[in-house]
Amino acid sequence: MKKFLKHIALGFLVFIIINALIAIKYEYPNYKAIKNKTHRNFLKWDAMHSNKNSYDLIVIGTSRSYAAFNPVVIDSILGVNSYNMGTSAQDIVETYYALQEIFEYQDPKYIVLDLFFESGDDSHDYYQIFSNSSFFKSKRRQLNLISEGYGSTGFLNYSIPLVKFKNYIKQDVISLFKNNKSLREENNWIKGHPHDTLTVTEEIVAGFGPISNFENTTFSRERFKTYFQKINELVTANDAQLICTRAPYPPHRFTLSDTDDEGNFFESYTAAENVHFIDINKIDNFNTIYFDTDFSDYHHANYRGAKKASEHLAEFIKLIN
Amino acid sequence: MLFNSLEFFIFLPIVFIFFWFAFKNQLKLQNFLIVIASYVFYGWWDWRFLSLIIFSSFVDYSIGVLLKTETKERKRKALLWTSICINIGFLGFFKYYNFFVESFIEAFSFIGLDLSANTLNIILPVGISFYTFQTLSYTIDVYKKKLEPTKDIIAFFAFVSFFPQLVAGPIERATNLLPQFYTTRKFSYQNAVNGFRQVLWGFFKKVVIADNCAKYANLIFNGSEDYSGSTLLIGVFFFAFQIYGDFSGYSDIAIGISRFFGFNLKQNFAFPYFSRDIAEFWRRWHISLSTWFRDYIYIPLGGSRGSLNKKIRNVFIIFLVSGFWHGANWTFIVWGALNAIYFLPLLLTKKNRINTNLVAEGKYLPSIKEIGQMSVTFFITLVAWVFFRADSVTHAFSYLLAMFEITLFSIPTVLPLTILGLLIFFVVVEWLGRHGQFAIEQIDFLKKPLRWSFYMFLIILMFMFTGEDQVFIYFQF
Repeated sequence: MKKFLKHIALGFLVFIIINALIAIKYEYPNYKAIKNKTHRNFLKWDAMHSNKNSYDLIVIGTSRSYAAFNPVVIDSILGVNSYNMGTSAQDIVETYYALQEIFEYQDPKYIVLDLFFESGDDSHDYYQIFSNSSFFKSKRRQLNLISEGYGSTGFLNYSIPLVKFKNYIKQDVISLFKNNKSLREENNWIKGHPHDTLTVTEEIVAGFGPISNFENTTFSRERFKTYFQKINELVTANDAQLICTRAPYPPHRFTLSDTDDEGNFFESYTAAENVHFIDINKIDNFNTIYFDTDFSDYHHANYRGAKKASEHLAEFIKLIN
Repeated sequence: MLFNSLEFFIFLPIVFIFFWFAFKNQLKLQNFLIVIASYVFYGWWDWRFLSLIIFSSFVDYSIGVLLKTETKERKRKALLWTSICINIGFLGFFKYYNFFVESFIEAFSFIGLDLSANTLNIILPVGISFYTFQTLSYTIDVYKKKLEPTKDIIAFFAFVSFFPQLVAGPIERATNLLPQFYTTRKFSYQNAVNGFRQVLWGFFKKVVIADNCAKYANLIFNGSEDYSGSTLLIGVFFFAFQIYGDFSGYSDIAIGISRFFGFNLKQNFAFPYFSRDIAEFWRRWHISLSTWFRDYIYIPLGGSRGSLNKKIRNVFIIFLVSGFWHGANWTFIVWGALNAIYFLPLLLTKKNRINTNLVAEGKYLPSIKEIGQMSVTFFITLVAWVFFRADSVTHAFSYLLAMFEITLFSIPTVLPLTILGLLIFFVVVEWLGRHGQFAIEQIDFLKKPLRWSFYMFLIILMFMFTGEDQVFIYFQF
C-alpha cells in the first residue's frame, strides 16, 4: 500500500512540476508585459478603471469587434468619447461579467455588443477568458465568472496550466514542424482598437471557408440566450442602450454557402428581444463597399475595413436616436 | 456522478481511504461502505431512483432466500417469474413504454385509424439495463442451482450496486462478483498498479479518443445531407471510434477502479476492431452482455442445435433482443437484424468459430489475408454503426445512400489531421498490447523511466486534448 501511495504521490509531484514549468513559460511574458505596461488587456482595463465615468460608448465582443470598430472614427461622427473593450476570443459569459465590471467604473450611454456564433459556442479559450478577467478589480466577480460562469470545467481550466494553455502549447508544438511566422506587425493600439495595416493575400482568400453556421460550430442557442438576456437586463438597469452589431466578413466567404445561419439567427433573435441590431454584412450594396482587401485575415477587418464598419455603425446609431 | 468529473476525483480518494484505512480487515464494514458509497454515487445523478435499486435488490435477495428453502418446482418457478416480471417490468416501463405506445399509434395510423394515447414524460433511470440484468442473473442462477443464495444482505446489496460498474457495466455475474464480497481483501500492489494502468488507458480512450471523435461524428451525422460520400464515411469511422472509446473506456475505468478495492471484474472488450469475422467481433465486443444473452436466452432456446429454421430463429432473436436492449428505437432493432444477417452465413457454414485465437498471435504484423479479413469486418461493422447512430431508420438509409455515391472517392471536406494522428497512435498501442486484457497491461517490458514517461505522456495528452464534455453514450441504455 505504502509503495503504491508513494508512487501516486510522486506522479502528482511530477505533474505539478510540469504545470509549474508551463505556467512560467506562458505567464512570464504576460507578467513582463503588465510590468512594462504593454499588455493589451491590462491597458484596456486600466483605461476603464483610471478614467472614471468618461466613456459614452463602449464596444464589447471578440477580436472581430476590436478589429472592426475604431473609436476615433465613431467619436468623430457621433461626437462622443468611445472605447473598444473587445478582447480576443471573448465568450458571451465573459462579456456579461466584463460589463458588470465596466458599469462599476463607467456610465456609458451606449453599449455596442458585437455578435458572433463562436462567442456563444461550447468551446472556450479559457486562457483568454481568465487573462481578461484577471484585470477585474473585484476578486469576487472573478470568482463568480469561474464558478457560476463555467462550473467545474472553469475551475479545472483556471487551476491547471496544462489545460489553460493547451491551445498555445499545441500551436508551439505545431510551429516546431511548420514555419508559422506571423506576418502581423505589432499594431498601434488607440482606444482599444489596433490600427492593423495587414492585408489578406489572394492565396489566403482562396483558402477561406464559409461563414459559421449551425453545422460547423457548437453554437448553443440556450447558452447564448441566457447570457444575452442577462446582458440586456444589466445594460437596461444601468440606463444605457444596448446596440448589437455583426462585424463584417470578407465578401468572398458569403459566396461559399447558400445560407447565413449566423446573420439570420441574430437578426430574428434581436428583433424578438426588441434590441437594435445592425448587421454590417447586410447593409445595402455590401459587395460594392467592402472588398476582401479590407481584411487582414478570414474574419478580422484591417484599418480600411475598420474605417468603413465604424462609419456604418456610427451612422446607424445616429439614425436610431 | 461521472468518472470524468471533479466530484468523482474527490469522491474516490475518500472512499479509498475509508475502505483501506478506517475499515481495514473489517469485511462487513467495507461492504457496508461500498453500499453507501454506491448509493451516493448513483444518487448524485438522481436520488429518487435509488428506491428502484433498493427495491430490486430486496426482491431478488428475498427470492433467493425463498428459492433455497422451496422444494416444489411449481413454486420455485413462480418465484423465478416473480423476479423476472418485477425486473423486466421496471425496465419495460421506464425504457420501452413510450416506444410501444408510439409504435402502436403509428401502426394504426398506417391503416387509416387515428388513435390517441398519451405518452408519459418518463426519465430513464441511469444504468437500469445494467443492474437489472445483473440481479436477474443471480435469481436465474440460484433457481438453476448453479449458485448458493446469499444470506448476507449487505453483500448482496453491494453486489447489485457496486459503484464502479453500476451505471454502464460490465454486467457482472453473481458467480464471479458475489463471492468476492465474502472474502477478506488484501491490498495487492500489483493489482492496484494494473488497476491504475487500466484506469489511465480508459480515461485516455474516453477523454481523448471518444470525445474528440464525437465532435466530428456529431458534426457529420447532424448535417449529413451536406457532405460528400467520403466525408460521410469519415463520419461513421469517427463514430466507430467514439463508441468504442467511450464504452470500452468506461469498462476499463470501472475494472481498474474495482482493482483498487481488491475486486476483479471480467474483461468486457477484447480489441474487437481486430476481429477477422463478425462472429469474432461479437466474442470481443461488450462481452458481458453477449455472454449474458448467450447463457440466459440463446442456449435455453436451443442455441445452434436443432433444425435450420430453429437456428435462424435463435440467431435473429438474440441479435434483435440485443438491439432492443440498446434502446427503444427502430434504428437499434435494424442494427441488431443487420448483425444477425452478417452472422448467419458463418453459423450455417459452421465457420463461426474458426477465429477463436488472437490475430497474428506472437507476431508484430498481421498477414495480408488477416488485414483483408479485419478490413472487411471493420467495414461491415461501420455500415451497421450508421443505423446505431442515425436519428431514424430513414436517416440511416439516406446516409448510406449518400455515402455510396461517386463522391465516396473524393477528398473528404472534414479531415481533422490531429485527431487522425491520435487515432493512429491509439490503434498502434492497442495492436501492440492486444495480448493483454487491455492495451497497456503488459507495459512492464519498458524500463521504469520510460514507463513513467509514457504514463505522463498519456496524462498530458488527456489534458491537452480534452474534448467537449460528452456524457458516456451507454448511460442512455
